[in-house]
Amino acid sequence: MNKNLLALAAVVLLAVVAPMVIPISIANEIIVIAIFAMATNLVIGVAGLYSFGQAMFFGAGAYLTGYSLTAGGLSLVPSILIAIAGAAALAGIVGAVIIRRSGFYFMMLTFAFNQMAFYVVLVWSGVTGGEDGMAGIKRAPVGGLDLNDRSVFYAFCAVLFVASYVILRQIKKSPLGLVLEAAKENPRRMASLGYSVHGAQLAAFMISGAFAGLAGSLYVLLYRFVPIDSISWIMSGNVVFMVVIGGMSSMVGPIMGAAVFVWLQGLFSLLWAQWALLFGLFIIFVVFTLRGGLIELFKRVARIRRAGEAHHG
Amino acid sequence: MAEPVTVLEAIELTKRFGKNTVVDGVSLKFPEGRLHAILGPNGAGKTTLFNLLTKDYPVDGGEILLRGERVTRLRPHQISRRGVGRSYQITSVLRELTFFENVWLASYRADHAGAPGLWRDFRAHWATAEKTRQVLAELGLEPFTDRKAADVSYGDQRLLEIAVTLATRPEILLLDEPTSGLSQRESERVKQLILSIKGKFTIIMIEHKMNVVMDISDDVTVMNRGKVIASGSPAQISTDAAVRSAYFGL
Repeated sequence: MNKNLLALAAVVLLAVVAPMVIPISIANEIIVIAIFAMATNLVIGVAGLYSFGQAMFFGAGAYLTGYSLTAGGLSLVPSILIAIAGAAALAGIVGAVIIRRSGFYFMMLTFAFNQMAFYVVLVWSGVTGGEDGMAGIKRAPVGGLDLNDRSVFYAFCAVLFVASYVILRQIKKSPLGLVLEAAKENPRRMASLGYSVHGAQLAAFMISGAFAGLAGSLYVLLYRFVPIDSISWIMSGNVVFMVVIGGMSSMVGPIMGAAVFVWLQGLFSLLWAQWALLFGLFIIFVVFTLRGGLIELFKRVARIRRAGEAHHG
Repeated sequence: MAEPVTVLEAIELTKRFGKNTVVDGVSLKFPEGRLHAILGPNGAGKTTLFNLLTKDYPVDGGEILLRGERVTRLRPHQISRRGVGRSYQITSVLRELTFFENVWLASYRADHAGAPGLWRDFRAHWATAEKTRQVLAELGLEPFTDRKAADVSYGDQRLLEIAVTLATRPEILLLDEPTSGLSQRESERVKQLILSIKGKFTIIMIEHKMNVVMDISDDVTVMNRGKVIASGSPAQISTDAAVRSAYFGL
């Protein structure tokens, strides 16, 4: 069977089966955060741009949706679209300033912008609710669908999750994706072939921002609340961890990373108040034993099976 | 006979690194369709001159004219899009990509003026894939189509480097030591390749191997310490006194 179809089937299966085997609220958080992780993989894994400011776009989506639904008085779909467009625009502005810097400097700048965004939200409490976040968000019905029903809302998110996967995977395999991969290795050569490397990277940064904004928007709808944590640098760090844990080589990796992260976070926090410490150990374990992330486990199994078949054949 | 058109011209080009002037007021004209070799000892400023012409480095002084258009302030990808293709002295193929992907990227650029597409799988761009296979076939590289560049010999990587440069379908071809690090047999292969494309492009080539230069060049320029010390036909250059002292140490 075609590898692409197989991966798509696995992603759809995950979205369908997850709420049957784990609490639906956790499954819902996983698929929403997975969109964020896939978006982050486009910049980190595909383009090799080490962004530690992804929460700025996730948070922008979250606050824009929160504001549109409350003070803005808009309905649900426009609120989501505004979140996507707003986060992409913010990524465009930030990206235009920093995309010419590379490596460590790029990383520090994404971090700095994230901190600035955080403080803007904190200080502008009349609009954002400051430290208390933004409450009172309601899920208005969409075309006769009652999104207050947990299963309906889950299905709504699951459709967007699968669509995000398909789109981001196509981008990864598209000419733009190949240009980004190549520019990661040798930007100078790509320029000498006639590619505007910064243009391609900026496009990736904005697309990533758009999907991070979508994830932020759905996150707010899920909890009917915008926590200030949604725009904090810790969120930026967490999503990078998810990508690293899951693996960057495909868009399935970040989904696995998000699932494991959200699930383990819940599990460890039940075991011990200082759960972050256990989590740190887990990340160190993955990095040392599974370079390439959890997705590498599947590849190793596949290789062993192939070798086995060759042996028997 | 009418004077051939000058396609690329350097006027008083200068590049400094700190206190060192590496390219010092170089003026050169490259006529269309000819193979122009640039010779000179190590540190003569040849590769730096290339880096100025392709704008890999910013220019400190002087001008570059491409078909009469002033391009001194353009960026490298803009120079490339105006038909200047280049290969590098240090092989700069994308090691993690296959031969097909390396050449595909160059072919796709030649096919598409705008931003790269972001939906269809790059392999499903059939016309570009077809041209990619043609270029690989022309250079006898089909057996390597799906091999990663990192996994083949240095000689084959050098050929890939040229294949990539040709696949951008340039009018002007800048080859930086195309035979460096190659065995005699391999450099003969590259030499034959250059001979086979000679006349179809304006070729500017930096080369150390004297036999290669003298056998295939139309014009030769010799540089030393950032300056042009002689220009002429291969026959003239081989008898030039300044060249003999600077380059051959005679």
